[in-house]
Amino acid sequence: MIEIENLTKMYGNHVGVKDLNLAVRKGEIMGFLGPNGAGKTTTIRSCLALLAKTAGEITIFGLDSHRDAVAIREKTGYLPGEFGLISSVKVSSYLKYLLSLRGYERTEKMMSLAKRLELDLNRKTNELSKGNKLKVGIIQSLMGDPDLIIMDEPTSGLDPLMKQEFYRILREEKKGGKTVFMSSHILADVERVCDRVAIIRKGQVKVMEEIQALQEKTGKVLEVEFGDPFTIDEFKLEGVSEIQQDNGRIVLTIHENLDGVIDAVSKHRILNMNLKTYNLEQLFLKYYAQGDSERGDA
Amino acid sequence: MMAGRMAYMELRTGWKGLLIFGLLILVVSAGMVQIFPTFRDSLTEELEGANKVSLELPDEQGGNVTLSWESMENATSYMVLEDSRLSMVTAKLKYKGEETSITFEKDFEEKRYYAVTAVLNETSDPLLIGIATTEEGENPFQELLQNPIYKGFTGGRNVNMLEAKGFITLEFFSWWWMLAGMFIAYLSVSVIASDFENKHMDVLLSTPISRRRYLIEKFGAMTVVALLIILVATAGIAGGLTSINALNEFSADVVFLSLIGCLPFLMVIAAVGVFTAVLFQKVRASMGVTFAFVFAEFFLYAFGGFSKSLEWMKTISIFQYWDYASVIIDDFFKAGDFIVLTILALVLLIIGIWVFEKKDIPA
Repeated sequence: MIEIENLTKMYGNHVGVKDLNLAVRKGEIMGFLGPNGAGKTTTIRSCLALLAKTAGEITIFGLDSHRDAVAIREKTGYLPGEFGLISSVKVSSYLKYLLSLRGYERTEKMMSLAKRLELDLNRKTNELSKGNKLKVGIIQSLMGDPDLIIMDEPTSGLDPLMKQEFYRILREEKKGGKTVFMSSHILADVERVCDRVAIIRKGQVKVMEEIQALQEKTGKVLEVEFGDPFTIDEFKLEGVSEIQQDNGRIVLTIHENLDGVIDAVSKHRILNMNLKTYNLEQLFLKYYAQGDSERGDA
Repeated sequence: MMAGRMAYMELRTGWKGLLIFGLLILVVSAGMVQIFPTFRDSLTEELEGANKVSLELPDEQGGNVTLSWESMENATSYMVLEDSRLSMVTAKLKYKGEETSITFEKDFEEKRYYAVTAVLNETSDPLLIGIATTEEGENPFQELLQNPIYKGFTGGRNVNMLEAKGFITLEFFSWWWMLAGMFIAYLSVSVIASDFENKHMDVLLSTPISRRRYLIEKFGAMTVVALLIILVATAGIAGGLTSINALNEFSADVVFLSLIGCLPFLMVIAAVGVFTAVLFQKVRASMGVTFAFVFAEFFLYAFGGFSKSLEWMKTISIFQYWDYASVIIDDFFKAGDFIVLTILALVLLIIGIWVFEKKDIPA
């Protein structure tokens, strides 16, 4: 669906992205992770020809991203990282206007999305809160029923309930055969909804993997707070790859033998316990910490 | 995709501002015409005053100059002021007394003006009887029109200010370019640069709208606005002329034709606004440069009128190509000028599109 080969974007002497390679497959939800300033927005905006490339190729629907930009945009919905809108018009008029620019007349999807995201279409655009503006942005990116949905930080600003609804909507889009490419610096967003993830750092994609494979690789994390003394040695069991201890608390990274670990834990008085299915957060931190030590400033 | 949707949206969201500006134009243009009868009467009086003063000049230097004037009832004495300029800002007292003529030796080469006033009593200001000039056959108002700035407004023609035609040429068109030009400059810059500034450009350009179409639609909206304000000004002037019974002097279509001549003039300004907006992508910088362009063009035209050697300046000024007086005064519409400015506006728009297609949209 999206093929990015050796994309380089320079802003004068500053590197936006350098020799970036990335592929988004048809029908998947691809997460694009990285800290602020890593080059996520630059990559996304280059795909939409909002930025001129310095070098490299981007192909979307088999078409050249810059030469065939208009044809690509006919089938693409986009939510910018910073979403601005026309001031002082009714939200419904504004959305209908954007639909008309797409040559799309049907408003059913717009109405149903507004209902699901609890957005009042009769309000004026200049009266919207930040969260409601984001909802308008999400709706406009989906309402034209595009085959490809590109979103830059879609969930930063949505409350938890709305986030759940938003994930449901994305999963439905996927079921309908749509492809989603979304960036985020919030790992939980990506974990919940994405099939694959690409991690970008300093303008280059360092990891591109299935979420499930990452889960298996990184394992589960068990965090236990004990009410009595314990030794680390008690938890040096088969299938436990990493043990961290901190003031009566222990954090275990487990790949297999969950039974054995629970047995060992249950020998103590447990004050609190938390099992995370996988550990993208830690992978992420580990990955970046490693990168920093390579750089020598960790 | 429906063509013109973007242009329509601009007009729809900006209708309040347009309405206020339209009303302003209507009131000012119709109101300005209302001043004409009063202006005409006072000018007539002043011009008649010139006949009350006569000046006899010798052929040679050192000969006798005789200045005489009609006596005025109740005048206790007369005062004569002399200056080399009509404005009389550096006038010196030439004579004070009860006689109604004076003779003095000619000791100057250049032009002289003599203002004759009657002193009625010691407490009131002297009353102007008339002004005489040493230049033959020229009345003081024609002299005023020799000023290059005024010449610019009339295309170098001698305009009769006693006619509504002349009055409108000088009193309406001399500020219309600034009012309409600045408004179009402001609009054309803000409709584009504000899309950059309020981050709306990303959304618009993620729809299947090419950058070329985006600019053409915005420019199209500007053309419609320019046409609307021209129509409103035409209605204002024609309505004003009707109300003072002066429309018989020339018809509403003459007003419209002379105004429509400024459409490509305004479109050039709009195209410059579009160009600067896509170049700087910021309202303030783009607006500043566009305003500077309009004023620079005006001064090129004005300075070009100062002397023959500076005339080339006029040819690179857009003001040279909008001769509204040719329609009103000479009954002639300069289609060539209209085409020159239209082509210039389109060329500037094409350059704007070219620049826009090359530039990054700032995040």
